[in-house]
Amino acid sequence: MAERRLTPKALHIGLFLALAGAVTLYRLLPVQDYSSGVELGGGIVTDLVVAEGLMNRALWPAPDFLLCLTLAWIVRRPDLLPAPVIAAYFLFEDLLLLRPPGAWALIVLLGTEFLRRRAPLLRGSGFWLEYALIIGLMGAMFVVYRALLAIVIVPQAPLDLSFVQLVGSVIVYPVIVALVHFVLNLRKPATGELDGMGQKL
Amino acid sequence: MAIDRKNEQDFVRPVRRILIGLMAAFLLLIFFVWRIDSPRVEQFRVEVIDRVVPSFDWAMRPVTQIGAMVENLRSYARIVEQNQELRRELQQMRAWREAALQLEQRNAQLLSLNQVRIDPQMTHVTGVVMADSASPFRRSVLLNVGARDGVQDGWAVMDGLGLAGRISGVGSRTARVVLLTDTASMVPVIVQPSGQRAFLAGDNSPFPVLEFIESPEDLRPGDRVVSSDDGGVFPAGLLVGEVVQTRDRRLRVRLAADYGRLDFLRVIRARPQEVIADTGSLITPAPLPPAVADPLDSGEALPPTPPVQ
Repeated sequence: MAERRLTPKALHIGLFLALAGAVTLYRLLPVQDYSSGVELGGGIVTDLVVAEGLMNRALWPAPDFLLCLTLAWIVRRPDLLPAPVIAAYFLFEDLLLLRPPGAWALIVLLGTEFLRRRAPLLRGSGFWLEYALIIGLMGAMFVVYRALLAIVIVPQAPLDLSFVQLVGSVIVYPVIVALVHFVLNLRKPATGELDGMGQKL
Repeated sequence: MAIDRKNEQDFVRPVRRILIGLMAAFLLLIFFVWRIDSPRVEQFRVEVIDRVVPSFDWAMRPVTQIGAMVENLRSYARIVEQNQELRRELQQMRAWREAALQLEQRNAQLLSLNQVRIDPQMTHVTGVVMADSASPFRRSVLLNVGARDGVQDGWAVMDGLGLAGRISGVGSRTARVVLLTDTASMVPVIVQPSGQRAFLAGDNSPFPVLEFIESPEDLRPGDRVVSSDDGGVFPAGLLVGEVVQTRDRRLRVRLAADYGRLDFLRVIRARPQEVIADTGSLITPAPLPPAVADPLDSGEALPPTPPVQ
């Protein structure tokens, strides 16, 4: 009995870890960022104006897909993504991506807990309310993270770049929601919906 | 399954809250431990990376290959103009080569005249780039050589032509190279014809900035930038790149290392420089033998010794 009850949850945790692993892998892979240097190595670009244009183009940071995925998931099915998984994975990512270990994981954990407690409230409301809440939450996480790093005087990423990343994450969030909704089939449970065991969700 | 959900929640919620609090406290603890005792946590981090990243190798390789293929295809598209460009450049290069050969001979002559001793101990170990943490905030790559191959923190890393970065973090099988474009990178350099010393500070753009230049008006675009051994960080004289000036009049460096194709990197084995510890002692004349008493000198320099009791 216990095993059967565990299975869909374990399955979803596995799914989350696989997706998160893919995102992290993508961030580790040597695909981006170096393309900017190619033109210069060949000595073809001699005009400095051209070179400057290259400089400006190549430097947009990618949005934080993993954060969007986690938040979208928590809003929809908080029961399928337990907090220890989130904390552990983000800590792992902190270690791997050379961020100060623990800080971002802590903030994501607190953010998701905040959202988890409000997930029942969001169940009845539409997407736009959720989106507004998410924008606020992401902004707050951004500010708290930078404040925490500033308090203990850790060298930080440039403000403009991380702000661009924040805006990118906000923009990408609806896309991730659509993905979670239609592809992963994680939806806010309707009122009175039952799970596989006949329990109320 | 006859558990009432409501009851279960009432019971579970406070316990859960405590567990979450513990978890948060644990993460905060990790963060502060890292802040206080950074090297040990960084060592742990390197160990994690050492364990994890090589196992991603199967995924890295095809993606790297595909990326290289796409880049190659793109270069096919402009192959004609590139060809002409290359011909023109080749022509120029021939001239340069001739000049370089002559200069080399001349240099060798002058060196032998001056009896300059060139550091014979500059050897290198070559590694393959496995991965990079591709974020716009960090510019670093992982090499597949590590402490096992004798790599140490702080050693310089070159690609075939120019300086690429320095080792920062060594695992047993991997080592992390912080590239010159990373924001944390700060390297002493000399700008060649004028011999001015400066710092090359990365700012995540492909062109690092030259900082702390004494008289910027003496530099002009095209000047050669080589590494300097100020502070004992790097071996001196490794080619870094050439000076460029952006529209806002800042001096930056176009790196000689080809950051588009960082495949193989050389880690330059640097011997620690000998440190001259003392300031040198006062050179005094040898003490005069007591038997020879110079009547002119002893009256001034040596006070008459009191009789020994």
